[in-house]
Amino acid sequence: MSLLQYPVLKKMRVVPLSGTYRRAFFLLMVYSLLLVATTVILFPIFWMASSSLKPSGELFARDLTMLPIHWTLENYQNVWVNTKFPIYFWNSFKVAALSTICSVLIAMYAAYAIARIEFVGRYTYGLVLLITQMFPHILLVIPLYLLIQRMSMLNSHFALFLAYTAFSLPFTVWLLRGFFEAIPAELEEAAEIDGASMLTTFHKIILPLAGPGLAAVTMFSFIRAWNEFLFALVFLSSRELFTMPIGLASFQEEFTFRWDLIMAGAGIITLPVLLLFLLMQRFIVQGLLGGALKG
Amino acid sequence: MLVKKRARFAYLMILPSMVVITLLTLVPLLDGLIVSIQSQDLARPDPTRFVGLAHYSRALIEDEDFWSSLGRTLVWTVGSVVGAYCLALFLALLVNIDIQGRKFFRALFLLPWVVPEVSTALLWKWLYGDEFGILNFILKSLGMIDSPVLWLADPALAMPSVIAVQIWKLYPVMFIVLLAALQNVPKELHEAATIDGANSRQRFLYITLPFIRGTSVIITLLASIWSFQNFDIIYLLTGGGPAGATKVLATLMYQKAFWGSEMGYAAAIGVLMLVVLLLISIAYLFAYKVQKD
Repeated sequence: MSLLQYPVLKKMRVVPLSGTYRRAFFLLMVYSLLLVATTVILFPIFWMASSSLKPSGELFARDLTMLPIHWTLENYQNVWVNTKFPIYFWNSFKVAALSTICSVLIAMYAAYAIARIEFVGRYTYGLVLLITQMFPHILLVIPLYLLIQRMSMLNSHFALFLAYTAFSLPFTVWLLRGFFEAIPAELEEAAEIDGASMLTTFHKIILPLAGPGLAAVTMFSFIRAWNEFLFALVFLSSRELFTMPIGLASFQEEFTFRWDLIMAGAGIITLPVLLLFLLMQRFIVQGLLGGALKG
Repeated sequence: MLVKKRARFAYLMILPSMVVITLLTLVPLLDGLIVSIQSQDLARPDPTRFVGLAHYSRALIEDEDFWSSLGRTLVWTVGSVVGAYCLALFLALLVNIDIQGRKFFRALFLLPWVVPEVSTALLWKWLYGDEFGILNFILKSLGMIDSPVLWLADPALAMPSVIAVQIWKLYPVMFIVLLAALQNVPKELHEAATIDGANSRQRFLYITLPFIRGTSVIITLLASIWSFQNFDIIYLLTGGGPAGATKVLATLMYQKAFWGSEMGYAAAIGVLMLVVLLLISIAYLFAYKVQKD
């Protein structure tokens, strides 16, 4: 026994020493790789921010500098005062917020039913939701356009609101279902024994517990509507109604080569979602992993 | 009785969602099929006329644009999914190492995912700019080029350039999913293998890879569906140009529907896209199953 252990002991005396060097070298490697990767990947975002804070003379210079020489907010001011951007901002916010509220309100009941109640078609409905969620939305653009046209609702925010609500529903139900399933069933059973109706139980007991889940799906839904481009492009034609993504895209023709305006505009669209993401990062990651992709 | 009552309650709860999804997703889907066998012309008294499979034969036989766009769509999809997967796996393996600040890096690597498509496209267009683009400026400062590279205007370079943007936008979701899968690999397995003398390459191939294979299949399939249908990035960066070098099915369809007012033909392209996607998904899952058995 002691003879067998001997080589092991001998090894253990040597290994830790060289191990620390190897570990240090390894860590150095890992951190330098991480640093390189971060620099490369975040550079476009950095460059957008930096460009938007430069006076336009520095944007179109022979020698570009990484950081502005003269920091300025004049590009943001120009976009906000001299273009229709505040209108676009408000339009985006309105459509995204209303469709998010509506889809979360509708989705939470459906998600609860699928998570907790036995009924015929429960599995099938879940499957339909999953498939509609994966379904490429671009294929709906023509039939929905024709539908909206028949209803004479083209060029209205209501059309966009309908489309965004419908698009975010399957995903929202699917995600919320996962969150509801994680809540212990004993709570509802106890409430039921106490004579509470199912609806009361849901409103008073389950919903408050699903707070993080509701926050996550609200975020997701809002960000998606806020960023959406194709349907806004197809449905809206008058500038007064443009949302920010198509408003900014139209800058390319309206203000050719005004990259100062375009970068500041891109900054204005990106900033709110970036902040939301950083604030809610934990929930969002949880949500992404929980319901969205694993099913 | 109680079960029945509960079921009735459940139907009531799913009803609103069902109505919305049926009216705004399922019915339009069928409507798309119908439109694809019609000729849509709002100028005529009967705006819709049945034309049978004329649009399909036009796409598959007469219109050379369809096949070449399909080819480019496949290049675009495969290029961006393979690229994004490799990048995502590399970063996930890095962040999976037990080090200080990994949560911080995890958050940073997710950032491109939240940047709106329109900002993504426009900021890359600015990076790629030939005269004042930072990319050309850096390459020139390093002495690697003499004259600016026309990233988006050169037909040979346009496709790789737009694929790079799509990789940047696509990899974060793959990264976070792969990272979660990697965290499910039991540490003991790696320790045991190390003691048995397996090197890191062997440990990756025989321990890590089998554990993340299922996740990889699902996430690459989903990413393929997303890329295949992607419209925003290409439309905003090149609009399908230069000289059609980046014209994919999504932009072809948009062009036919909203510039050419050929709704019926565009709807047929849409249906064909769906068929191709279904075929790809089936072939993909089939290949995975065969390989697994």
